[in-house]
Amino acid sequence: MATYSLANERLRALEDIEREIGAILQNAGTVILELSKEKTNERLLDRQAAAFTASVQHVEAELSAQIRYLTQVATGQPHEGSSYSSRKDCQMALKRVDYTRLKLSDVARTCEQMLEN
Amino acid sequence: MAQQRALPQSKETLLQSYNKRLKDDVKSIMDNFTEIIKTAKIEDETQVSRATQGEQDNYEMHVRAANIVRAGESLMKLVSDLKQFLILNDFPSVNEAIDQRNQQLRALQEECDRKLIALRDEISIDLYELEEEYYSSRERDGEAGSPLRREPEAGLDPRTPGS
Repeated sequence: MATYSLANERLRALEDIEREIGAILQNAGTVILELSKEKTNERLLDRQAAAFTASVQHVEAELSAQIRYLTQVATGQPHEGSSYSSRKDCQMALKRVDYTRLKLSDVARTCEQMLEN
Repeated sequence: MAQQRALPQSKETLLQSYNKRLKDDVKSIMDNFTEIIKTAKIEDETQVSRATQGEQDNYEMHVRAANIVRAGESLMKLVSDLKQFLILNDFPSVNEAIDQRNQQLRALQEECDRKLIALRDEISIDLYELEEEYYSSRERDGEAGSPLRREPEAGLDPRTPGS
């Protein structure tokens, strides 16, 4: 199946955002876990906290951009395009191929019977 | 900047609600996380006993952590809604997807027809020879049991009354 590049790009971006949301929660958990220890690793703490803040800001920016894009392109009307006609034409072509295969196998069978006789 | 199209009220409201949900969820995550970090600080002087204060802090942290998780799940739901909205309303990409599909199917159809035409040209040569062989053989007279003899279908013989 060919890549529907434009649609797939935005959907892939949204999937990346989903993964990043999971990473946000994981970072938050790591920071709190680290704080709960007797001896905290400050470097790890700072790194995780910075990653958490950066991820949250990135997710907010990306989702705002997506919503802004949708505000520009959405028309409120249903899309009425379809690929039905070309699908039907292709189906008919495949039916022609099947029919040809059937007829050729008939001819081949007839020739074999003649040769046996 | 692209000219703002007049969206139907429902779509406009929907997109505004998406914005609001995004702002609220992000604010909830940040605020609750900040408060958990603040609560983690151990105070020397407390209004109640340390044990009570500890219990209260424990409960508060649980609630705030649950709020962070709830906000995260709400963001995931928002992303899912945005994906759905995108698939249904992003006309440029829907148009491109339809065009690509049409091109694919048209190319497949043209290839099938091209191959059938090439096959036809090849077989017509062989059929010519087969026909020559058939018309110059005794099988042409249609002996019974011959695979080339076509029996009239039952009920369709025009010579048979009532068919």
